Amino acid sequence: MSFDPNAFIIILTGSMIAISCGLLGVFLMLRKMAMTGDAISHAVLPGIVIAFLISGSRHGLAMVIGAGLVGIIATVFIEYLSNKVKLQSDASIGITFTSLFAIGIIMITFLANQIDLDQDCVLYGEIAYVPIDLWITGSGTIMGPRVTYLSLINLTLVSLFIYLFFKELKISTFDKEFAATIGLSTVGVNYGLMGMVSYTTVSSFEAVGAILVVALMVVPPATAFLWTKNLKRLIQLTVALGILASFLGYYLAFFLNSSIAGAMASVAGFFFFLSVILNRKQIPAIKKKLSKMKVA
Amino acid sequence: MIEQINNPVVEVHDLMVSYGQNPVLWNIDLTLPAGNLIGILGPNGAGKSTLIKAIMGLVEANSGYSKIFDQDLNHVRNRVSYVPQRESVDWDFPASALDIVMMGTYHHLGLFKRPGKKEKELAMDCLQKVNMKAFAKRQISELSGGQQQRVFIARALAQQADIYFMDEPFAGVDMSTEKALVSLFQEMTATGKTVIVVHHDIYSAGKYFNWLIMLNMHLIASGPTEKVLTEDLLTKTYGGKLSMLTDIGELIKKSDFNPLKN
Repeated sequence: MSFDPNAFIIILTGSMIAISCGLLGVFLMLRKMAMTGDAISHAVLPGIVIAFLISGSRHGLAMVIGAGLVGIIATVFIEYLSNKVKLQSDASIGITFTSLFAIGIIMITFLANQIDLDQDCVLYGEIAYVPIDLWITGSGTIMGPRVTYLSLINLTLVSLFIYLFFKELKISTFDKEFAATIGLSTVGVNYGLMGMVSYTTVSSFEAVGAILVVALMVVPPATAFLWTKNLKRLIQLTVALGILASFLGYYLAFFLNSSIAGAMASVAGFFFFLSVILNRKQIPAIKKKLSKMKVA
Repeated sequence: MIEQINNPVVEVHDLMVSYGQNPVLWNIDLTLPAGNLIGILGPNGAGKSTLIKAIMGLVEANSGYSKIFDQDLNHVRNRVSYVPQRESVDWDFPASALDIVMMGTYHHLGLFKRPGKKEKELAMDCLQKVNMKAFAKRQISELSGGQQQRVFIARALAQQADIYFMDEPFAGVDMSTEKALVSLFQEMTATGKTVIVVHHDIYSAGKYFNWLIMLNMHLIASGPTEKVLTEDLLTKTYGGKLSMLTDIGELIKKSDFNPLKN
């Protein structure tokens, strides 16, 4: 197969998105907040619509800020419901994100005639359009694919966030109470992480959609966790799995003539189940769980 | 029998804590001397953990305050160490024993700085003190309960604090380890440090601690072990009539009257 620049751009963009999602996903998983990530990725929808109405464009800073704010509001609301109202945390998540998501859907359909934004675009995205969606400067210079730039900026900021606050993320994830007693703002770390999750969702939704972003956040870290109990190794493996999913996903979609993002998520899922089967230690543990479930 | 002292390292004044509408601690007033190994005794639900959590600012007090070294906790955090209950964290977290002990050095480092060689050496020394050096590279999920507990204590040692609050450090620890830990704590108090331990066993308490706090939602006793370890005070702490406060709690729940809200 000869070198195809479009394929390269798609795989590169997909990889960068998968790495950003995976890096954040590692901490979401360890904090047992994978579903909060899911919730945020849906809840940002009204933020996207409002930002779109105000700025009139599907890209740019307004979008990131709008979605980031709604993502943080969703986090605050989820924690309020579970900590103060004493609702179960899964119910708190379920109520918060479905409500916000529903409001977003109403906004989109209501304004469908006026704006260039539809559910399909937000929910599913289309990474195949990345090479033809070019960033053209005011003077007419073609800079290259726009979403690729967005995901590069996103990856840089996410990596920087994890690198700079690694110590704080690690300690507040493992032992929140201890972290608080040494004077660390565990609330601040939490909102920082959730803010990054919101931003990553917005930055990626045009390419992979708000639903599959979650797959890239949850599946590679969960797969890596089956293989290693070392945090740095876990992060490295997650990154590698993200790149692999993007690469193989592209060619799977190419041969099946199907959705690339869908194929990426499927490949990630395939690796997860393969790991479960290959990981011998896991097999007895799963059998144990299954037998317990039968008894119950 | 509540003995108040001058120049305390810990001072708790009029402290009241409740979870929702259930009061857990009432009017706690106590002062603790430096350089002592101090035990907190009381039955389940007496508020032992809540007391140290309130002092560490982990639960909010309805009224009252606590001071450490005559200052607000925020000014002296570097001199105070807290060891949570072992079950309060998920030991499946991907880290080695050494990684966890290194966390004890984080607050001296501040933002953006990473632990280096110096911190690693300190952490190894602390592991040595709890006899866990051989397990430094071991994944924490593969350690026994008692070993995990010792890792937590090593992390506290790495903080190089002057006061240590420990929530049930002997839970799930075998007898020989418990004895080794007690003599480690005694060495620490001999150098002027204060170690405050939530403890369950009345019989060993007399041997281990030289100051005792007896708690059952309100403060029954606080003083030198030989003065407060009496049958009378123990009955008051553990026995019979002290369900009165629980009854008040029940009454508050039943009626609309709620003194905790204005």
